[in-house]
Amino acid sequence: MQQVLIRKPHVIGKPFPLIEAQKKLTGMTCYAGDLETLPGMLHARVLFSTRPRARFQLKNLEDARQIPGVVALITGKDHQARMGYTIKDRELLAVEQVAYAGQPLAIVAAETLAIADAALARIEVHYTDLPAVLDIAQALAPDSPAVHPHYQQYPGNDALNARPEQNIAHALTFTRGDTEQAFAQADVILERTYTAAPLQHAPMETHGGMAQAQPDGSITMWMHIQAPFLQRRIIAEALGMRPEQIRIITGCVGGSFGGKIFVSIEALLAAIALHTNGRSVRLLLTREEEFGSVFMAPAMQARIKMAATQTGRLLGIQATYDWNIGASVDASLFHLQAVTLAGTGPYAFPNAEIHTNAIYTNLLPAAPLRGLGIAQIHWAIEQHIAELAEMLHQNPLTMRQWNLIKGGDQLFPNFTMHANGLETCGLQVLNAIKWKPTRPQQSETPAPPALKSDKKVGRGMALSWSPIILSDQCGSSITLRLDKDNLCDIVIDGVDIGQGLYAFATQLVSFEINIPVEWITVQPTDTAKHPAYWQASYHNLMWSTGHALLKATAQMKQEILRFVGALWNEPITGLDIVDGEVISYASRRKLPLMTLLTEGSGDGTPPPVFEIKAMYRPPNIDGAIDSLLQSFATTAYAAEVEVDETTGGVTILQLAAAVDVGHALNPESVKAQIKGGMIQSVSYTLLEEMVFEDGIPQAVNFCDYPIATTADMPRQLHPIVVEVPQRSGPYGARDLSNHVQAGAAPAIANAIYRAVGVRIRDLPITAQRIYDALQAKKKET
Amino acid sequence: MNAFDYVRPPSLEETRRYLTPDKRVSILGGGTTLLLEIQNNEVLPEILLDVKSIAGFHDVRYHHNHGLKLGAAVNLQHLATGLEIRRHYPLLHQTAQKLASPQIRNRATIGGSVAWASPTSELAAPMLCYDAVCHTWSPRGTRTIPINELYVGNYKTTLAPDEIITHLHLPSFPARTHGIYQRQTVRHDGRRMIAAMAVLAIRKHHQLVNWRIAVLGVDDRPKRIPQAEVLLEGTPGEEAIKQALAVVRENIHPQDVVYARSDYRQAVLMGLLERSIRTTIKTLQDS
Amino acid sequence: MKHDIQLIINGDTRTLAVESEQTLLEVLREDLGLTGVKHGCSTGECGACSVLLNGEVVNSCMVLAVEADQADILTVEGLATDEALHPLQKSFIDHHGVQCGYCASGMLISAKALLNRTSRPHEDEIREALVGNLCRCGAYADIIKSIQVASRARR
Repeated sequence: MQQVLIRKPHVIGKPFPLIEAQKKLTGMTCYAGDLETLPGMLHARVLFSTRPRARFQLKNLEDARQIPGVVALITGKDHQARMGYTIKDRELLAVEQVAYAGQPLAIVAAETLAIADAALARIEVHYTDLPAVLDIAQALAPDSPAVHPHYQQYPGNDALNARPEQNIAHALTFTRGDTEQAFAQADVILERTYTAAPLQHAPMETHGGMAQAQPDGSITMWMHIQAPFLQRRIIAEALGMRPEQIRIITGCVGGSFGGKIFVSIEALLAAIALHTNGRSVRLLLTREEEFGSVFMAPAMQARIKMAATQTGRLLGIQATYDWNIGASVDASLFHLQAVTLAGTGPYAFPNAEIHTNAIYTNLLPAAPLRGLGIAQIHWAIEQHIAELAEMLHQNPLTMRQWNLIKGGDQLFPNFTMHANGLETCGLQVLNAIKWKPTRPQQSETPAPPALKSDKKVGRGMALSWSPIILSDQCGSSITLRLDKDNLCDIVIDGVDIGQGLYAFATQLVSFEINIPVEWITVQPTDTAKHPAYWQASYHNLMWSTGHALLKATAQMKQEILRFVGALWNEPITGLDIVDGEVISYASRRKLPLMTLLTEGSGDGTPPPVFEIKAMYRPPNIDGAIDSLLQSFATTAYAAEVEVDETTGGVTILQLAAAVDVGHALNPESVKAQIKGGMIQSVSYTLLEEMVFEDGIPQAVNFCDYPIATTADMPRQLHPIVVEVPQRSGPYGARDLSNHVQAGAAPAIANAIYRAVGVRIRDLPITAQRIYDALQAKKKET
Repeated sequence: MNAFDYVRPPSLEETRRYLTPDKRVSILGGGTTLLLEIQNNEVLPEILLDVKSIAGFHDVRYHHNHGLKLGAAVNLQHLATGLEIRRHYPLLHQTAQKLASPQIRNRATIGGSVAWASPTSELAAPMLCYDAVCHTWSPRGTRTIPINELYVGNYKTTLAPDEIITHLHLPSFPARTHGIYQRQTVRHDGRRMIAAMAVLAIRKHHQLVNWRIAVLGVDDRPKRIPQAEVLLEGTPGEEAIKQALAVVRENIHPQDVVYARSDYRQAVLMGLLERSIRTTIKTLQDS
Repeated sequence: MKHDIQLIINGDTRTLAVESEQTLLEVLREDLGLTGVKHGCSTGECGACSVLLNGEVVNSCMVLAVEADQADILTVEGLATDEALHPLQKSFIDHHGVQCGYCASGMLISAKALLNRTSRPHEDEIREALVGNLCRCGAYADIIKSIQVASRARR
């Protein structure tokens, strides 16, 4: 095979996925803040509200504008606009009233950051506080003010099942059978409430980017975000422009976890760029702004009621999941759909009633954290199942097995459950931590002895399922090009945020067209370069992009074979591509692809260029919520923990996670993703909580919002890959990255219960909560 | 950050002209707290006086009769790895290894850390147990301040604005002095302290002579509890241990923080302390 | 107040004029174009800006440039040679030590500092050495493995 030099000079001859890793490890990758600055670039800063709900006035604006070096300063009065994808319940800049602390009030562009800061410091903000709604209970109380009293004026106000006067932003329901009858017939009913604190995405790279208005009135933006097509539509609409007039060029993203999908500060950057006479502007958020002014992940309150027979058959479930989504619901709609569909947990309840409510409050708008709320609902469901099993004197494993969803189950009118490896996942994680659950009071193999006598060890498990929902808007488009200069270029509308999308695309194309991986380069998304598809984001990437790539590669191969078939005067049915050569099975002729691309037909005509554009759109049936279901990912967790009875401190000794990924195209990469999800889960289970005081975020640095360090890792991690192929997925694969989280928290809580006999139903599980529960238990006995 | 001047004199004498009442001077050691304070506009110095080049400020000298001299600019990483610390002040060695992170330890200085009078300042615990004495210099002369007397409360020390810590002196302790430092924090790397304590048992000739107890996070400053220490003298029995713990309980005043209630902080401190006392007794009896 | 300082960066001596209040991180990124050193928090809590300063790993956001006068500085850009990647870099590639990559520079520098001190660190020693480097992707397990493998590969 001919030696091929890849056109990046500092690379030492490796396939693209490795080139990307290599660039990251040599400091060569450009994240948004590393991009070469354009000549004359200005620096932007944003003035954010410090009150959760207030009327406000900005004073000294002219003084601020007059400061030498200030080029532009705009406020909501200069640029009134509402933004949103489905419901425009956010303002570009607050105009007269703020709806949350952290809301943008003004943005300035200046020659230096110091001048920009000076301009903002010059502005005085006069707030007249209004009664704010700060939590779910307050929001739903009958006499509470409405967070959005003018909701009816918002474009999209009829799109959702909203009752804005009651602060209900959206409400979904799913029912099956007759739960009232189920409860009437049950031997046992268990009802509990659970909560999960609001969280932060906390990517290592803060939000930011560069924008420049072009002479033709369009805006070019360099923003490394997860969903460029989604964002350009929202930004264009906010600025009264057409989507094609906003060009977004993406690149390497330093972590997103759901926080860089929907628009937060990006629209401001576009807006200010319109006022700087064509000079480019860069905005990079500080860490404090990242914590306090972008998004939160929604808080949950859940009420669950389950009915069962004495023998452990689950008869019915009624669950209400209330979500504090802050001052805007627009970014949470997928999340709400997902938790409604998954709200029973992975059990074939014959009767079910699931209610999901999104509640408006005067807090930071919510965007879903990796996992779409599935982790939080299972926090509730899997503790509930564990408690129910104990009440019924059932083995927690066998009771789950008996009621588990199976392939062929018709749990939804428009969706039949497919074969899945959930049971295998459950058995594998138990095996990994060497635990065989039994009925209560039966002797089981004891847990390993604790090192100190006041520490107790316990083990727990949890199962979960996570819906992969796609609408016909969640498609993907691909351009595949083969020519002599660039060899093979793939342009996809998906953004690699570290989950390995580019590696996946490279592998697939290499495999399908039988060309070496060294030939392949994946181009980062540039919205100007291809037709729009909705959002190249989390779960649909492997799926839609995979399907689009399969289409594109099939067409590409046909084109190549057609060309060579014409050259050799042979039917293409006898031709193939093997190891970078076109071969004929009949005549045994061979033509290296490289030769084809450089010399063509050999008759003096220019060599061929093969370019294919392909699209994939998931089918949509009739718009019912369950018609959006493509499949369910399934996950199992088992945990072994040690609890210090004096301090309530928890150490995770072992944590096992098994995910059914359908088909692991790159098993080591899949395991890396699983391990990453396990650590993230431990972090939000034990450490993370976004604290608000009077609606103002209190935790705005890594000290006050602690995320896991190496010191917080479980002593042993067991990542396990299970494969039960998904027939409708590319190569039988299902998506992985979103679904790894669900189950860690309840497995840990169940383990703590077995260790020290107390159940914590509020996330995060802090040592103080365990201590309080132990004290309460002591008082009872 | 707001602008300031930066000076790095090679001797104490050369600091004189900066330490006058008309100038707003901040002493720069490792900068790991000062630079944050400047960023947040909590402190607005005109001049940063970097002490890391002053002669003698990096001294580390041990003599078995005279004890340990630690120059004010010695970094915390040295406490974690230095041979003389490990051999002769094991409680200090043990505590320093868990402090913050390698990045912070490589910058944070002993002088700066001791002067930062946070009620959860971890370095203070072993320093209190080892009877460290701060040696200071100012244009008006030198003085010594036992660390016990340094902390006034609520992030304040007895240091004057123009006073610089030059070094710490730790007296010599008998071999096989045994100590334990334990902490309960939210994050396992030490962030967000709930409570912490250090226990030191000073042994001479196979007999426990006396005890030191230092507590963090349960009052407005790091402190010793001498009233409890005397009750533990010798090899305390069950009654003595209970009494000592009761005295500690009476002499601490934990405050609520966002991540921990005061009663929880107290319970944690008492739990860690009891365990540490009993473990220390057992270790010494076994050896 | 302006100061003329000399920094020896990845072996090259550079002379620059800096303001007192400029941090080493700002100078490395903006004046010297070494954007491999990342900005994560500015408060010395995340480790994304880690560099070796006279052989010790520090958060460059917490060091004033003027404090680093005459210092030997190693950034991630100085790890590989023209011919080859550093064994740590190779190992991170082979063992999935990098996901989104933003913490990678800092992790490599902390790892280098550790391996300079301890040729065959135990897993616990590696965990402790990395405690000041945050990774939100949660790639710690593979990062630790990458470092272990690299430590064994060294002669």
